[in-house]
Amino acid sequence: MATYDFDAIVIGSGVSGGWAAKELCEKGMKVLMLERGRMVEHRKDYITEGKGPWQLPYRGSLPPAEVERDYIMAKWGGANLTAQTHFYNNDRLNPIDFENSKPFRWVRPAQVGGKSLIWGRVALRWSAIDFEANKRDGHGSPWPITYDEIAPWYSYVEKYAGIAGSKENLPQLPDGEYQPPHPMNVAELWVKERLEKAIPGRKLISTRTANMTEDKPEQGRTRCQSRNMCARGCSFGAYFSTQAVTLPAARKTNNLTLLSDQVVTNLEYDPKTRRVTGVRAVDANTQEAKVYRSRIVFLCASTLASTQILLNSRVQGSEGSFADSSGTLGHYIMDHAFRTQFWGTVPDPELSPYIAYGRRPNGVYIPRFRNLSGQDADADFVRGYGMQGAAGRDPAGAPGFGKAMKEAMRGYGPWTIRFTAFAECLPYKDNTLTLNSNKLDRFGVPLAVFNVTFRDNEMRMMRDAALQGEAMMRAAGLEGVGSSNEEHVPGDAIHEMGGACMGADPRSSVVNRWSQAHDAANLFVTDGSQMASTSCVNPSMTFMALTARAADHAVKLVKAGTI
Amino acid sequence: MSFLDRRDLLTGATALFGASLVAPLARAADIKAAEMAPGFAASHAAFTPEQRALVAAISERIVPTTDTPGAIAAGVPAFIEMMLADWYETTDRNDFMEGLGLVEGYARVQYEKSCANLTPEQLDVVLTLAMQGRIPALSRSFFEHCRQLVILGYYTSEIGCKQERVYVPVPGHYDGKYPYANVRRVFSS
Repeated sequence: MATYDFDAIVIGSGVSGGWAAKELCEKGMKVLMLERGRMVEHRKDYITEGKGPWQLPYRGSLPPAEVERDYIMAKWGGANLTAQTHFYNNDRLNPIDFENSKPFRWVRPAQVGGKSLIWGRVALRWSAIDFEANKRDGHGSPWPITYDEIAPWYSYVEKYAGIAGSKENLPQLPDGEYQPPHPMNVAELWVKERLEKAIPGRKLISTRTANMTEDKPEQGRTRCQSRNMCARGCSFGAYFSTQAVTLPAARKTNNLTLLSDQVVTNLEYDPKTRRVTGVRAVDANTQEAKVYRSRIVFLCASTLASTQILLNSRVQGSEGSFADSSGTLGHYIMDHAFRTQFWGTVPDPELSPYIAYGRRPNGVYIPRFRNLSGQDADADFVRGYGMQGAAGRDPAGAPGFGKAMKEAMRGYGPWTIRFTAFAECLPYKDNTLTLNSNKLDRFGVPLAVFNVTFRDNEMRMMRDAALQGEAMMRAAGLEGVGSSNEEHVPGDAIHEMGGACMGADPRSSVVNRWSQAHDAANLFVTDGSQMASTSCVNPSMTFMALTARAADHAVKLVKAGTI
Repeated sequence: MSFLDRRDLLTGATALFGASLVAPLARAADIKAAEMAPGFAASHAAFTPEQRALVAAISERIVPTTDTPGAIAAGVPAFIEMMLADWYETTDRNDFMEGLGLVEGYARVQYEKSCANLTPEQLDVVLTLAMQGRIPALSRSFFEHCRQLVILGYYTSEIGCKQERVYVPVPGHYDGKYPYANVRRVFSS
């Protein structure tokens, strides 16, 4: 009979790892959580929280030379801001194989809590349309799960996390368990009224967000205070993060052991029993390697890190990963394309007496409206996109100098609304993450090589989004309407998914309908790497729901003696 | 992601939370130690004493003392020196220093004294000429370069945020239809 150090090991402490630890601990499992980054304790380690610009190094902006040296990828996620630089990976110390990769932006965190501390907090459900997409148009491998199966798990995680949003009864964006939405401002309401009238069926809603509008005293959390400095950490616990939500719940059980600075390099595997037998980690400070053993393993290191760990988990005497009997591990790497913007200015003088008080943590959202029931006749692409935006007034710019300029700068410019489109990316088998075994990082792990590109379908969608966006702005009666298309670089949206995709068929997928590896019954891969498609909506709520569901299933299997 | 920038802030929290102010918020009030770290003061001199005086004089004309303090009171000259010493890339720094030299040279020719010793009216004339691209050899972009540095330094300073603008570190709620007439100022961020 095998002996274990722990019932379960959770690799990673972000959105997915946090949920895995909470659920497994609450179900009575002794859990070891391993995190590659440094320790960050709730409140105590939010070192820039509450500071004004004059209290931040360089008034908030890291010197360009330092950005280019250390944060060449992370800068796209905000590492160039000194209020939050400390929450990002140092890309010089922990690089990818830049030389052999196509342009890719892997924005990685560097601490306990992972990206849950710095995420954009948009909290949307995927729809039945999304889970059926691969099957319908034949791209990627079909999802083996349906929206109806996942819906109760969305409800479960939403209720606990605390999501603010409005119910809209839209099939493409299912309603969830929501606290009241954050209010829209006078300009957004102005646009909403006119847009929804001009284009029947089109919707402009308050973005559903993991920033609470009601307190959760039982969790020691307070509703959002409209500071909008979320990415520095929030001592109110107003938004969902590991530190504020899942870690306290896991610790409360006394079943959790959390070790930071533990870089997992690979999983050990016994081909005879087809089980993961150990998790090997290197201490980031001492370089000491250690193998931890448990009955089950939850791999939640992030889409790309989990894929990298799996690729580096070779069966003895073999070049290949134990988890790759399908030949699809490291394939189907995806991200949303999102460098398309459009905007317009509200011309109504009746709005000019008003400004915004407070700094809201969310914005507004235009749910997907393309290819909803079959293929739109005028769409030269499959699937669709959603649009995130906000209206605001910038402080007035003023020319010249002196007293007149200073006084003119006490006013505001016009109300302007601006949107960014997020397009679904199709699963392409030859969009890959591979390892270069000739180049090892400082922990001995082969560097990741990215060959991921957006294709015609994504580019057509982005062109369409700009056209449709401008048309909507004009239909709503806005002035100064415009749009822009910047280069779309994969990774940039920080919505990376795929690499260890879910599917019913072990010959074409890495994990089954329970996020359980086809090749190892005691391994569950519950982060973004399991995603078989991307939808066009933000994925974090789906990671949470699938993780909680997988934990529930795994414990049932353990209790039944199956794994 | 949205153009409502990542904004930041704090003081006044004491009023809301009294003695129970949590550690990170309390820490923000105690800034002395942090000010010694990189990014708060120039790590080495970027200016000669004459250049420092000139930058101070120009800063104060761009954002003068009115019913609120001006650029000098807000520490803008030291901010600019820090940026040039520790933030700027070499070519940008050289452009700025060259521009300073040309403005100084123009003052000496026209007024036979150092730019820093000009009357405010005389300095305004020089700055206007610089803005209009009418100082020999001086790139027209120099004025805008100066202007933006001063504006950035002023409106991110404690005085700029709290006295010229209205600083609400913990708004508590969001009101998207707030009358400008209630403040007649910009909320700092």
